[in-house]
Amino acid sequence: MSTALQDDDRKTFAGIADVLIPAAEGMPAASEIGIQGEILDKVLGFRPDLRENLLRGLRAAKGKDPRTAAETLNKTDGPAFGAISLAASAGYYMDPKVRKLIGYPGQENRPYNPDETPEYVRNGMLKVVSDRGPIYKPTPK
Amino acid sequence: MAIAGSDQRSENADVLIIGAGASGSVAAKHLSDNGFKVVCLDQGPWVDNKEFAGARPEWELMAQKRWHPNPNVRDLENDYPVDVSESDVNPLMYNAVGGSTILWAAHWQRFMPSDFRVKTLDGVADDWPFTYEELEPFYEQAEEEMGVSGLAGDPAFPPTKPLPTPPLPIGKIGMKAAEGMNKLGWHWWPGPNAMPSKPYRGRNACVRRGTCLTGCPEGAKASMDLVYWPTSIKNGAKMITGARVKEILVNDKGLATGAVYIDRAGRERTQKAGIVIVCANGIGTPRLLLLSTSKRFPNGLANSTGLVGKRLMMHPYAAVAGVFDEPLESWLGPAGQTIQSMQFYETDKSRGFVRGAKWQVMPSGGPLGLRAAYGGRALEEAWGVNLHRNTKRVFGHAFEWGIIAEDLPEESNRVVLDPTLTDSDGIPAPKLIYKNSENTRKLIDFHLARAQEAMKAAGAVSMTTTPLMRDCGWHLMGTARMGEDPGTSVVDPYGKAHDVPNLFVYDGSNFVTSSGFNPTGTICAIALRCVKHLIANRRDQEIAA
Repeated sequence: MSTALQDDDRKTFAGIADVLIPAAEGMPAASEIGIQGEILDKVLGFRPDLRENLLRGLRAAKGKDPRTAAETLNKTDGPAFGAISLAASAGYYMDPKVRKLIGYPGQENRPYNPDETPEYVRNGMLKVVSDRGPIYKPTPK
Repeated sequence: MAIAGSDQRSENADVLIIGAGASGSVAAKHLSDNGFKVVCLDQGPWVDNKEFAGARPEWELMAQKRWHPNPNVRDLENDYPVDVSESDVNPLMYNAVGGSTILWAAHWQRFMPSDFRVKTLDGVADDWPFTYEELEPFYEQAEEEMGVSGLAGDPAFPPTKPLPTPPLPIGKIGMKAAEGMNKLGWHWWPGPNAMPSKPYRGRNACVRRGTCLTGCPEGAKASMDLVYWPTSIKNGAKMITGARVKEILVNDKGLATGAVYIDRAGRERTQKAGIVIVCANGIGTPRLLLLSTSKRFPNGLANSTGLVGKRLMMHPYAAVAGVFDEPLESWLGPAGQTIQSMQFYETDKSRGFVRGAKWQVMPSGGPLGLRAAYGGRALEEAWGVNLHRNTKRVFGHAFEWGIIAEDLPEESNRVVLDPTLTDSDGIPAPKLIYKNSENTRKLIDFHLARAQEAMKAAGAVSMTTTPLMRDCGWHLMGTARMGEDPGTSVVDPYGKAHDVPNLFVYDGSNFVTSSGFNPTGTICAIALRCVKHLIANRRDQEIAA
């Protein structure tokens, strides 16, 4: 089996990816952001371990109705379905446009002032816990 | 193989440390501070913070393989396989300088006083050979060395001094969870984390990136390669990486003389030392002791009791995840813990079980789902239009109450050498035989029900419950337990093997019971107590010539 992605592989991947991630709820379909092109290459660059299972699944699904192919793979070849669905969803949620639509800035650096008195201290939320007193059993004598 | 510092591998060391994780790093720093010639062997490499993907778009994709905590999933050259076919839980670890602190969540916990006296208080397991009060000064010193952030005054513990840096923000998820706990009148407290909220001794302040479990790109989290090794190397300690130890050597007097290891070029080498300290975690340590057979020690080193490898404890982990209508920015760190609760920690026998669990609130990660353990749903449920609907409903709107269940020591839960599986150097791999007890199952059921009440009180509109997460074995304990009695323990209260007077075990293997807390704070405190005792008694310590 050739381990290089062929045009047919990309076409099959786009079809299945659109079943998994369709245009709906104000979100674009996977193929609309070009999931089968550079994004797929990038995903496989980060995760070369996915390639074998992904290609096996895509080649088994070649020429079939994408929905039927996705359902069959999900039932009969978990590793292949896992690789295809992970590549599709990971690539999708790595895309900046998609992230903007779901309000995800990525794992960001969020500044804070460590010397500021926390809100739960200022508003007395924590005091009620302290006021109930110790809840531990001391070391027995 | 790489050697930091001058090449002394062929020279005798005063002390050979096997494993550069939490306990080995504490030991190396304090021994080298006090003039000991230290050599440390670790099978892994140094890790550069720039390798961590936390600040990059591929973070979640890489979290499921390269930075996965399960060595069987990660499958790196520096990992060894673990047979888990007879275990309810997968062990988690990282093999590198810093050990599992490279990937730990840095929840910094002390044990409670009752944890050291479970036999006296609850009639189960065994008491520890020391009390909370005896360990307390070492907790305090370890907290200072690690740069822990948090707020003193938690009524779940005896009073403590202020922690080195102020608490990290608990965020919207912590506030939401705390509101629920206050409605119920239940305990909560901002969680202490081994990540400073201000720059601390050469480390940066935590920036709340929330990727602690896949490595800290900021160099803020207290991983041992950053906390201890720069000083140890400066002191003259030698770190030999890529060194997979296959056997601890002994002489005809029954003293440990060093270890044989295989470097990454496949060459077998010997490191001699006067004292050997094993710090290879609760699985790696018994594996190595069991591998180290000889005429004098046919059942493995320090194993005259047959207890090496037995009493494995791994802390079964359960969780209740809640979804809320309002946005909670639940990808924000620390991850790390925001708040914790010990409301149901102490034994109440009316519940039908003994001991308890610590709870903690953690963020829920990015849209891909940080934890593969939550996957596996049907096509129509997880994909298609429902993918978008679920993402909009859950992403950024959810957090979990995680439950760390205390599991009691049982000799049937154990690490053995696998008869067929080996690592890439042909060394027998460990096999785990580990089942949850009836007490643990009842404990988890009770705590899950209470955590659901806590989520409901906080206003969750929906919940999912995970009764036992398979990939949860972060805490590897008990497989070379300590005690005063050589007939019922492997090492003494200072980590010295009863059978081999210059062999020590400093990692979580030496735990008597597991508590319901994250153990690294206690591993560090015990390692500190042990190594300070060794240093203070160096003149009386027997060594191999």
